[in-house]
Amino acid sequence: MLSRLALRAAPAALRNLSPCLSAGAVHAARSFHGSQPCAAPYPPLPEKAGAVRFGVIPEEFFQFLYPKTGVTGPYMLGTGLILYLLSKEIYVINHETITAVATLSLLIYGVKRYGPSVAAFAEKLNEEKLATVATVKNDSIKALETAIEEEKREQWRIEGRSYLFDAKRNNIAMLLEINYRERLLMVYNEVKKRLDYQIAMQRLKRRKEQDHMISWVESRVVQSITPQQHKESIAKCILDLKALSKAAQATV
Amino acid sequence: MAGRRVALKAIDWMAFAERVPLDQRVMFNTLKTTSDAISSRLTSLPEKPPAIDWAYYKKTIALPGLVDEFEKKFSALKIPVPVDSETAKVDAQEKATEKDAMAYVEASKARVVEYEKELARFRNMIPFELMSYDDLHEAFPETKLDKEKYPYWPHKPIADL
Repeated sequence: MLSRLALRAAPAALRNLSPCLSAGAVHAARSFHGSQPCAAPYPPLPEKAGAVRFGVIPEEFFQFLYPKTGVTGPYMLGTGLILYLLSKEIYVINHETITAVATLSLLIYGVKRYGPSVAAFAEKLNEEKLATVATVKNDSIKALETAIEEEKREQWRIEGRSYLFDAKRNNIAMLLEINYRERLLMVYNEVKKRLDYQIAMQRLKRRKEQDHMISWVESRVVQSITPQQHKESIAKCILDLKALSKAAQATV
Repeated sequence: MAGRRVALKAIDWMAFAERVPLDQRVMFNTLKTTSDAISSRLTSLPEKPPAIDWAYYKKTIALPGLVDEFEKKFSALKIPVPVDSETAKVDAQEKATEKDAMAYVEASKARVVEYEKELARFRNMIPFELMSYDDLHEAFPETKLDKEKYPYWPHKPIADL
Protein backbone atom coordinates (compact mmCIF):
# COMPACT_ATOMS: atom_id res chain seq x y z
CA MET A 1 0.00 0.00 0.00
CA LEU A 2 1.09 3.52 -0.69
CA SER A 3 0.66 4.39 3.02
CA ARG A 4 3.36 1.96 3.95
CA LEU A 5 5.28 3.15 0.94
CA ALA A 6 5.16 6.72 2.23
CA LEU A 7 6.39 5.50 5.61
CA ARG A 8 9.17 3.66 3.90
CA ALA A 9 10.01 6.68 1.74
CA ALA A 10 12.51 7.95 4.27
CA PRO A 11 14.48 4.70 4.51
CA ALA A 12 14.16 4.27 0.76
CA ALA A 13 15.61 7.74 0.21
CA LEU A 14 18.37 6.88 2.66
CA ARG A 15 18.91 3.70 0.76
CA ASN A 16 19.23 5.69 -2.43
CA LEU A 17 21.78 7.97 -0.85
CA SER A 18 23.87 5.38 1.04
CA PRO A 19 24.27 2.10 -0.67
CA CYS A 20 24.62 0.21 2.62
CA LEU A 21 21.52 -1.16 4.29
CA SER A 22 19.72 0.99 6.85
CA ALA A 23 18.62 -0.38 10.18
CA GLY A 24 14.98 -1.28 10.73
CA ALA A 25 14.08 -1.80 7.09
CA VAL A 26 14.88 -5.47 6.72
CA HIS A 27 12.46 -7.60 4.74
CA ALA A 28 13.15 -11.12 3.65
CA ALA A 29 11.88 -10.44 0.13
CA ARG A 30 14.05 -7.38 -0.56
CA SER A 31 17.64 -7.84 -1.50
CA PHE A 32 20.43 -5.91 0.18
CA HIS A 33 21.97 -3.41 -2.14
CA GLY A 34 25.63 -3.72 -2.92
CA SER A 35 28.00 -0.89 -3.73
CA GLN A 36 26.12 0.68 -6.63
CA PRO A 37 22.65 2.17 -6.20
CA CYS A 38 20.21 -0.06 -7.98
CA ALA A 39 18.38 1.64 -10.86
CA ALA A 40 15.91 -1.19 -11.43
CA PRO A 41 12.40 -0.68 -10.13
CA TYR A 42 11.81 -2.05 -6.65
CA PRO A 43 9.74 -5.16 -6.28
CA PRO A 44 6.40 -4.41 -4.66
CA LEU A 45 6.21 -4.51 -0.88
CA PRO A 46 4.73 -7.67 0.58
CA GLU A 47 1.16 -7.44 1.84
CA LYS A 48 1.85 -8.83 5.30
CA ALA A 49 4.82 -8.29 7.58
CA GLY A 50 6.81 -11.23 8.90
CA ALA A 51 4.89 -13.39 11.33
CA VAL A 52 5.57 -12.61 15.02
CA ARG A 53 4.47 -13.98 18.33
CA PHE A 54 3.73 -11.68 21.26
CA GLY A 55 4.18 -8.81 18.81
CA VAL A 56 7.97 -8.77 19.03
CA ILE A 57 9.41 -12.27 18.72
CA PRO A 58 9.68 -13.45 15.12
CA GLU A 59 8.30 -16.81 14.16
CA GLU A 60 11.68 -17.85 12.75
CA PHE A 61 13.02 -18.11 16.32
CA PHE A 62 10.38 -20.66 17.24
CA GLN A 63 11.08 -22.59 14.05
CA PHE A 64 14.77 -22.44 14.80
CA LEU A 65 14.29 -24.05 18.25
CA TYR A 66 11.62 -26.52 17.18
CA PRO A 67 13.90 -29.37 16.06
CA LYS A 68 15.74 -29.47 19.36
CA THR A 69 13.12 -28.50 21.91
CA GLY A 70 9.74 -29.01 20.23
CA VAL A 71 6.81 -26.64 20.54
CA THR A 72 7.23 -25.66 24.17
CA GLY A 73 10.96 -24.99 23.98
CA PRO A 74 10.96 -21.25 23.34
CA TYR A 75 8.21 -20.71 25.93
CA MET A 76 10.25 -22.55 28.53
CA LEU A 77 13.31 -20.54 27.59
CA GLY A 78 11.33 -17.31 27.90
CA THR A 79 9.78 -18.19 31.25
CA GLY A 80 13.16 -19.28 32.60
CA LEU A 81 14.83 -16.11 31.46
CA ILE A 82 12.13 -13.90 33.04
CA LEU A 83 12.26 -15.80 36.33
CA TYR A 84 16.05 -15.57 36.32
CA LEU A 85 15.98 -11.84 35.75
CA LEU A 86 13.39 -11.27 38.48
CA SER A 87 14.87 -13.53 41.10
CA LYS A 88 18.42 -12.39 40.65
CA GLU A 89 17.16 -8.80 40.69
CA ILE A 90 18.90 -8.16 37.40
CA TYR A 91 15.60 -6.53 36.46
CA VAL A 92 14.44 -4.52 39.53
CA ILE A 93 10.70 -3.98 40.03
CA ASN A 94 10.15 -0.33 40.92
CA HIS A 95 7.78 2.53 40.01
CA GLU A 96 9.01 2.39 36.41
CA THR A 97 7.60 -1.14 36.15
CA ILE A 98 4.12 0.10 37.13
CA THR A 99 4.38 2.92 34.59
CA ALA A 100 5.50 0.50 31.91
CA VAL A 101 2.68 -1.92 32.68
CA ALA A 102 0.04 0.81 32.58
CA THR A 103 1.42 2.48 29.46
CA LEU A 104 1.90 -0.74 27.58
CA SER A 105 -1.53 -2.08 28.43
CA LEU A 106 -3.14 1.19 27.37
CA LEU A 107 -1.20 1.29 24.14
CA ILE A 108 -1.91 -2.31 23.28
CA TYR A 109 -5.60 -1.87 24.06
CA GLY A 110 -5.76 1.26 21.92
CA VAL A 111 -4.03 -0.34 18.95
CA LYS A 112 -6.04 -3.51 19.13
CA ARG A 113 -9.36 -1.68 19.45
CA TYR A 114 -8.91 1.26 17.06
CA GLY A 115 -6.16 0.00 14.82
CA PRO A 116 -8.34 -1.43 12.06
CA SER A 117 -10.61 1.61 11.78
CA VAL A 118 -7.65 3.99 11.59
CA ALA A 119 -6.09 1.76 8.99
CA ALA A 120 -9.32 1.77 7.00
CA PHE A 121 -9.47 5.56 7.17
CA ALA A 122 -5.93 5.92 5.93
CA GLU A 123 -6.68 3.36 3.26
CA LYS A 124 -9.68 5.41 2.14
CA LEU A 125 -7.55 8.55 1.81
CA ASN A 126 -5.12 6.68 -0.33
CA GLU A 127 -7.90 5.13 -2.35
CA GLU A 128 -9.20 8.59 -3.15
CA LYS A 129 -5.80 9.71 -4.34
CA LEU A 130 -5.46 6.62 -6.44
CA ALA A 131 -8.95 7.08 -7.82
CA THR A 132 -8.26 10.66 -8.94
CA VAL A 133 -5.07 9.64 -10.67
CA ALA A 134 -6.79 6.64 -12.20
CA THR A 135 -9.60 8.85 -13.56
CA VAL A 136 -6.99 11.16 -15.03
CA LYS A 137 -5.33 8.22 -16.71
CA ASN A 138 -8.58 6.71 -17.97
CA ASP A 139 -9.85 10.02 -19.27
CA SER A 140 -6.58 10.57 -21.09
CA ILE A 141 -6.80 7.12 -22.62
CA LYS A 142 -10.40 7.72 -23.69
CA ALA A 143 -9.58 11.12 -25.10
CA LEU A 144 -6.70 9.70 -27.10
CA GLU A 145 -8.83 6.88 -28.42
CA THR A 146 -11.60 9.26 -29.48
CA ALA A 147 -8.98 11.51 -31.07
CA ILE A 148 -7.66 8.58 -33.07
CA GLU A 149 -11.21 7.69 -34.06
CA GLU A 150 -11.85 11.25 -35.17
CA GLU A 151 -8.68 11.35 -37.24
CA LYS A 152 -9.57 8.08 -38.95
CA ARG A 153 -13.06 9.42 -39.59
CA GLU A 154 -11.67 12.59 -41.11
CA GLN A 155 -9.43 10.55 -43.38
CA TRP A 156 -12.45 8.51 -44.47
CA ARG A 157 -14.35 11.73 -45.09
CA ILE A 158 -11.59 13.04 -47.28
CA GLU A 159 -11.87 9.94 -49.45
CA GLY A 160 -15.28 11.18 -50.53
CA ARG A 161 -13.95 14.41 -51.99
CA SER A 162 -14.50 13.18 -55.53
CA TYR A 163 -18.25 13.22 -54.92
CA LEU A 164 -18.31 16.98 -54.76
CA PHE A 165 -16.51 17.44 -58.04
CA ASP A 166 -18.56 14.77 -59.76
CA ALA A 167 -21.69 16.56 -58.60
CA LYS A 168 -20.37 19.86 -59.94
CA ARG A 169 -19.45 18.36 -63.30
CA ASN A 170 -22.82 16.67 -63.48
CA ASN A 171 -24.54 19.95 -62.81
CA ILE A 172 -22.57 21.68 -65.52
CA ALA A 173 -23.32 18.93 -68.03
CA MET A 174 -26.99 19.00 -67.11
CA LEU A 175 -27.18 22.76 -67.51
CA LEU A 176 -25.57 22.57 -70.94
CA GLU A 177 -27.96 19.83 -71.97
CA ILE A 178 -30.91 21.84 -70.70
CA ASN A 179 -29.72 24.84 -72.66
CA TYR A 180 -29.39 22.83 -75.82
CA ARG A 181 -32.81 21.25 -75.45
CA GLU A 182 -34.40 24.58 -74.71
CA ARG A 183 -32.92 25.99 -77.88
CA LEU A 184 -34.29 23.10 -79.95
CA LEU A 185 -37.66 23.51 -78.36
CA MET A 186 -37.64 27.23 -78.98
CA VAL A 187 -36.87 26.75 -82.67
CA TYR A 188 -39.64 24.21 -83.02
CA ASN A 189 -42.11 26.43 -81.22
CA GLU A 190 -41.30 29.45 -83.31
CA VAL A 191 -41.62 27.60 -86.59
CA LYS A 192 -44.85 26.00 -85.52
CA LYS A 193 -46.21 29.37 -84.40
CA ARG A 194 -45.52 30.86 -87.76
CA LEU A 195 -47.13 27.99 -89.68
CA ASP A 196 -50.13 28.01 -87.38
CA TYR A 197 -50.39 31.76 -87.86
CA GLN A 198 -50.59 31.25 -91.58
CA ILE A 199 -53.34 28.68 -91.16
CA ALA A 200 -55.23 30.88 -88.73
CA MET A 201 -54.96 33.83 -91.10
CA GLN A 202 -56.34 31.73 -93.92
CA ARG A 203 -59.27 30.53 -91.88
CA LEU A 204 -60.06 33.98 -90.64
CA LYS A 205 -60.04 35.31 -94.17
CA ARG A 206 -62.41 32.57 -95.34
CA ARG A 207 -64.79 33.19 -92.49
CA LYS A 208 -64.79 36.91 -93.06
CA GLU A 209 -65.54 36.34 -96.72
CA GLN A 210 -68.36 33.96 -95.86
CA ASP A 211 -69.91 36.29 -93.32
CA HIS A 212 -69.68 39.20 -95.68
CA MET A 213 -71.29 37.27 -98.48
CA ILE A 214 -74.12 36.05 -96.25
CA SER A 215 -74.89 39.50 -94.96
CA TRP A 216 -74.74 40.93 -98.50
CA VAL A 217 -77.14 38.29 -99.76
CA GLU A 218 -79.50 38.94 -96.85
CA SER A 219 -79.49 42.65 -97.41
CA ARG A 220 -80.23 42.22 -101.10
CA VAL A 221 -83.07 39.85 -100.33
CA VAL A 222 -84.55 42.24 -97.81
CA GLN A 223 -84.23 45.05 -100.32
CA SER A 224 -86.00 43.04 -102.96
CA ILE A 225 -89.09 42.57 -100.86
CA THR A 226 -91.65 45.21 -102.25
CA PRO A 227 -94.19 46.90 -99.98
CA GLN A 228 -97.04 45.01 -101.78
CA GLN A 229 -95.48 41.64 -101.03
CA HIS A 230 -94.91 42.83 -97.46
CA LYS A 231 -98.62 43.54 -96.90
CA GLU A 232 -99.71 40.25 -98.51
CA SER A 233 -97.28 38.22 -96.37
CA ILE A 234 -98.46 39.95 -93.16
CA ALA A 235 -102.16 39.25 -94.00
CA LYS A 236 -101.32 35.61 -94.68
CA CYS A 237 -99.49 35.36 -91.42
CA ILE A 238 -102.49 36.73 -89.51
CA LEU A 239 -104.85 34.20 -91.16
CA ASP A 240 -102.48 31.39 -90.35
CA LEU A 241 -102.24 32.54 -86.74
CA LYS A 242 -106.06 32.67 -86.43
CA ALA A 243 -106.36 29.14 -87.77
CA LEU A 244 -103.67 27.94 -85.46
CA SER A 245 -105.28 29.65 -82.45
CA LYS A 246 -108.63 28.01 -83.27
CA ALA A 247 -106.98 24.65 -83.56
CA ALA A 248 -105.15 25.26 -80.28
CA GLN A 249 -108.33 26.28 -78.43
CA ALA A 250 -110.12 23.23 -79.65
CA THR A 251 -107.43 20.87 -78.36
CA VAL A 252 -107.18 22.66 -74.98
CA MET B 1 -30.41 17.82 -84.48
CA ALA B 2 -28.36 15.04 -82.99
CA GLY B 3 -25.63 15.19 -80.37
CA ARG B 4 -26.77 14.05 -76.96
CA ARG B 5 -24.08 13.99 -74.34
CA VAL B 6 -25.05 11.43 -71.73
CA ALA B 7 -21.91 12.03 -69.71
CA LEU B 8 -23.75 12.11 -66.41
CA LYS B 9 -22.13 10.08 -63.61
CA ALA B 10 -24.48 8.49 -61.13
CA ILE B 11 -23.88 10.06 -57.74
CA ASP B 12 -24.67 8.21 -54.56
CA TRP B 13 -26.12 11.09 -52.56
CA MET B 14 -26.49 8.93 -49.44
CA ALA B 15 -22.81 8.06 -49.33
CA PHE B 16 -21.97 11.66 -50.14
CA ALA B 17 -24.14 12.90 -47.31
CA GLU B 18 -22.46 10.57 -44.84
CA ARG B 19 -19.10 12.09 -45.54
CA VAL B 20 -20.10 15.69 -45.09
CA PRO B 21 -18.91 17.15 -41.77
CA LEU B 22 -21.42 19.01 -39.63
CA ASP B 23 -20.19 22.49 -40.32
CA GLN B 24 -20.56 22.04 -44.07
CA ARG B 25 -24.01 20.59 -43.98
CA VAL B 26 -25.68 23.80 -45.12
CA MET B 27 -23.50 24.03 -48.21
CA PHE B 28 -24.19 20.39 -48.97
CA ASN B 29 -27.93 20.98 -48.69
CA THR B 30 -27.83 23.91 -51.09
CA LEU B 31 -25.78 21.86 -53.53
CA LYS B 32 -28.24 19.00 -53.33
CA THR B 33 -31.28 21.25 -53.84
CA THR B 34 -29.72 22.95 -56.85
CA SER B 35 -28.71 19.61 -58.32
CA ASP B 36 -32.20 18.24 -57.79
CA ALA B 37 -33.76 21.34 -59.36
CA ILE B 38 -31.48 21.06 -62.38
CA SER B 39 -32.13 17.36 -62.86
CA SER B 40 -35.89 17.84 -62.57
CA ARG B 41 -35.71 20.58 -65.20
CA LEU B 42 -33.74 18.23 -67.40
CA THR B 43 -36.26 15.44 -67.08
CA SER B 44 -39.16 17.80 -67.71
CA LEU B 45 -37.69 18.88 -71.05
CA PRO B 46 -38.19 16.39 -73.89
CA GLU B 47 -35.04 15.11 -75.49
CA LYS B 48 -36.22 15.91 -79.00
CA PRO B 49 -38.98 18.32 -79.89
CA PRO B 50 -41.89 16.64 -81.68
CA ALA B 51 -41.59 16.46 -85.46
CA ILE B 52 -43.48 19.05 -87.47
CA ASP B 53 -46.14 17.50 -89.69
CA TRP B 54 -45.12 19.08 -93.03
CA ALA B 55 -47.64 17.14 -95.11
CA TYR B 56 -50.57 18.58 -93.14
CA TYR B 57 -49.23 22.09 -93.45
CA LYS B 58 -48.54 21.64 -97.12
CA LYS B 59 -52.16 20.61 -97.54
CA THR B 60 -53.80 23.35 -95.51
CA ILE B 61 -51.69 26.43 -96.21
CA ALA B 62 -52.67 28.03 -99.51
CA LEU B 63 -49.48 29.97 -100.11
CA PRO B 64 -47.48 27.71 -102.38
CA GLY B 65 -43.88 28.32 -101.56
CA LEU B 66 -44.16 29.10 -97.87
CA VAL B 67 -44.22 25.58 -96.46
CA ASP B 68 -41.46 24.30 -98.71
CA GLU B 69 -39.28 27.24 -97.84
CA PHE B 70 -39.88 26.71 -94.11
CA GLU B 71 -39.16 23.01 -94.39
CA LYS B 72 -35.93 23.58 -96.26
CA LYS B 73 -34.69 26.20 -93.81
CA PHE B 74 -35.78 24.13 -90.82
CA SER B 75 -33.85 21.02 -91.84
CA ALA B 76 -30.85 23.10 -92.78
CA LEU B 77 -30.79 24.75 -89.37
CA LYS B 78 -28.05 23.58 -87.04
CA ILE B 79 -28.36 24.60 -83.45
CA PRO B 80 -24.92 25.04 -81.93
CA VAL B 81 -24.11 22.81 -79.00
CA PRO B 82 -23.33 25.00 -75.99
CA VAL B 83 -19.62 25.27 -75.32
CA ASP B 84 -18.38 23.79 -72.06
CA SER B 85 -16.04 26.27 -70.39
CA GLU B 86 -16.59 25.41 -66.70
CA THR B 87 -15.53 21.78 -66.54
CA ALA B 88 -11.90 22.74 -66.93
CA LYS B 89 -12.21 25.04 -63.92
CA VAL B 90 -13.78 22.26 -61.88
CA ASP B 91 -10.94 19.93 -62.86
CA ALA B 92 -8.40 22.54 -61.79
CA GLN B 93 -10.24 22.93 -58.47
CA GLU B 94 -10.18 19.19 -58.01
CA LYS B 95 -6.43 19.04 -58.58
CA ALA B 96 -5.80 21.81 -56.06
CA THR B 97 -7.94 20.16 -53.40
CA GLU B 98 -6.23 16.85 -54.13
CA LYS B 99 -2.93 18.37 -53.06
CA ASP B 100 -4.45 19.87 -49.90
CA ALA B 101 -6.25 16.64 -49.12
CA MET B 102 -3.05 14.63 -49.40
CA ALA B 103 -1.23 17.07 -47.14
CA TYR B 104 -4.05 16.90 -44.58
CA VAL B 105 -4.07 13.12 -44.69
CA GLU B 106 -0.33 13.06 -44.09
CA ALA B 107 -0.64 15.41 -41.14
CA SER B 108 -3.55 13.38 -39.83
CA LYS B 109 -1.54 10.16 -40.04
CA ALA B 110 1.35 11.80 -38.17
CA ARG B 111 -1.10 12.89 -35.49
CA VAL B 112 -2.46 9.36 -35.27
CA VAL B 113 1.07 8.05 -34.75
CA GLU B 114 1.59 10.56 -31.94
CA TYR B 115 -1.66 9.55 -30.30
CA GLU B 116 -0.80 5.88 -30.64
CA LYS B 117 2.51 6.51 -28.92
CA GLU B 118 0.82 8.32 -26.04
CA LEU B 119 -1.75 5.57 -25.79
CA ALA B 120 0.97 2.93 -25.64
CA ARG B 121 2.68 4.91 -22.90
CA PHE B 122 -0.52 5.03 -20.89
CA ARG B 123 -1.33 1.39 -21.44
CA ASN B 124 2.14 0.19 -20.50
CA MET B 125 2.36 2.22 -17.32
CA ILE B 126 2.89 0.32 -14.08
CA PRO B 127 -0.26 0.23 -11.96
CA PHE B 128 -0.55 3.06 -9.48
CA GLU B 129 -0.53 0.69 -6.51
CA LEU B 130 3.02 -0.32 -7.33
CA MET B 131 4.31 3.17 -8.10
CA SER B 132 6.61 5.20 -5.91
CA TYR B 133 6.57 8.96 -6.05
CA ASP B 134 9.62 8.86 -8.31
CA ASP B 135 7.78 6.58 -10.68
CA LEU B 136 4.82 8.93 -10.59
CA HIS B 137 6.99 11.91 -11.53
CA GLU B 138 8.45 9.88 -14.35
CA ALA B 139 5.06 8.87 -15.70
CA PHE B 140 3.40 12.27 -15.24
CA PRO B 141 6.11 14.92 -15.41
CA GLU B 142 3.66 17.62 -14.43
CA THR B 143 3.42 16.23 -10.89
CA LYS B 144 7.10 16.86 -10.21
CA LEU B 145 7.60 19.60 -7.66
CA ASP B 146 10.05 22.29 -8.72
CA LYS B 147 12.40 22.45 -5.74
CA GLU B 148 14.64 25.06 -7.34
CA LYS B 149 11.97 27.60 -8.13
CA TYR B 150 10.09 27.09 -4.88
CA PRO B 151 12.65 25.92 -2.35
CA TYR B 152 10.25 25.99 0.60
CA TRP B 153 7.36 23.62 1.20
CA PRO B 154 4.86 23.16 -0.45
CA HIS B 155 7.14 23.75 -3.46
CA LYS B 156 4.38 25.28 -5.51
CA PRO B 157 2.50 28.56 -5.38
CA ILE B 158 -0.09 28.58 -2.60
CA ALA B 159 -2.83 29.28 -5.12
CA ASP B 160 -2.19 25.90 -6.76
CA LEU B 161 -2.89 23.86 -3.62
